[in-house]
Amino acid sequence: MLEFRNVVKKFGERTILNDLSFKTKKGEILFILGTSGTGKSVLLKLIVGLLNVTSGEIWLDSEKISNFTEEELFSVRKKCGMVFQHPALFDSLTVFENVSYGIRPHLSGLSKSEINQRVIESLEVVDLGEDLLNKKASKLSYGVQKRVSLARTLALKPEVLLFDEPTTGLDPVTTQSVNKLILNSSRKYQSTSLVVSHDMDSALTVADRILVLSKGEIVELATPSEIRESKVPLVKEFLSEVLDREEAESV
Amino acid sequence: MFSSVKQALESLGEAVLFFIKVTSLALRGKADLNNVFDQIWKVFLESLPTTMLAGFFVGAIMTVQFSLQIEAFGAMGYLGGLATSATFREVGPLLIAFLLSGKIGAFTAAELGTMKVTEQIDAIRCLGSDPLVEVIVPRFIGIIIASLFLLVFGLCLSVTGGLLMANVFANINAAEYFRHIPSIVSGYSIVSGLFKCLVFSFVIAGICTYLGYFTTGGARGVGLAVIQTAVLSMVSIVITDWMSSFIFDSILRSAGIL
Repeated sequence: MLEFRNVVKKFGERTILNDLSFKTKKGEILFILGTSGTGKSVLLKLIVGLLNVTSGEIWLDSEKISNFTEEELFSVRKKCGMVFQHPALFDSLTVFENVSYGIRPHLSGLSKSEINQRVIESLEVVDLGEDLLNKKASKLSYGVQKRVSLARTLALKPEVLLFDEPTTGLDPVTTQSVNKLILNSSRKYQSTSLVVSHDMDSALTVADRILVLSKGEIVELATPSEIRESKVPLVKEFLSEVLDREEAESV
Repeated sequence: MFSSVKQALESLGEAVLFFIKVTSLALRGKADLNNVFDQIWKVFLESLPTTMLAGFFVGAIMTVQFSLQIEAFGAMGYLGGLATSATFREVGPLLIAFLLSGKIGAFTAAELGTMKVTEQIDAIRCLGSDPLVEVIVPRFIGIIIASLFLLVFGLCLSVTGGLLMANVFANINAAEYFRHIPSIVSGYSIVSGLFKCLVFSFVIAGICTYLGYFTTGGARGVGLAVIQTAVLSMVSIVITDWMSSFIFDSILRSAGIL
């Protein structure tokens, strides 16, 4: 499905990702964990061509997509929908205009009624109703903006969903509902999901596999149950808070 | 020292390429017309009151200054013509363009910079569109057209400001004020003023869209882009003012008009 082969990314002399190789399975939810500045978001941006690899290759469905031109990236971006850390909605546009932005007739070839239906369908997946359609994005709360942002990406019906820190800055209740949305949207559209996060709790709940990055290198790639048994110090650090809380809850 | 010169040259090269690309997209009619008209309308309405105020007072200032100088020669009848000529050819476009660079330029740089650091520009790319076509070109065309209208509008109002001040300050009536305008304010003065207005519009639009689009580094980066836009626009306006006067005069001289 999606494969990284010896990918290296440098900014000047600084190496961000170092010889990264991994492969995703179709329909799986892969969480990418790591400390700040370890190249998690860069990894996602390389997939959709917002950044170029320094060396190595990225493959999507048996096609090498690394270092594609902007025109060639059009097809990649149709397949890989990205949900940004910020909601990145267009403030002056309504919810309908935001969600339909990537499927406007000249981009998707869809008719107006098909676009309407797709927008409503996408909003339903993120638990939002039609009453929001004509509201300006700037008038929405941060949590709702995040949902609309996810709906905008889902409207593209992507094969791969890329989430960049989807729960950062959210309260625990909204975090839980966003995790549910990731699970629902991935299962509903049977899309492969790559979720960049700091949140081990969410990863253990939602992920099929977890990839842990440290200083641009993979230190662990395993299922949540295997991760719980990991001997890697960084993984143990990530786990400690979760295990402490679980222990306290059991007491 | 060497590295900062190299960096400055690289930025200049990047800016020139950006300017060529945006101009080429604009000339090829790539932008959505509704979006362009929205931008023209928005920029025009937002800056109209300040431009009117600036235009009015530029005319008023010129009249006061000229009246102080020519009163000693008993040539107050020429006040309207001289003040209007100087305002149209030089001071009017320059001062109003300064004001617009602060108003439109800083606003647009802040708007685009915020879009950049909150990943809206990246989102547009990921949704299959070109941010240059969707965001930059409509603003670029909008700012050029709206600024041009605003500058011309400001110049017209400067005549009103001059007239009022001549009446209040030097007791000169409208007929007296306008009498020598046709003989002193030549077609050359008007075309020269309009040419400068056009050049300044390009300068403001080019600088604010470029610096806004390439903003990096969060809120601090946006602030920096706004400051750079204001400073660079004003410096560029002064330089292009001299250059456009020089080029325009050379063209007219070689054509035997001057």
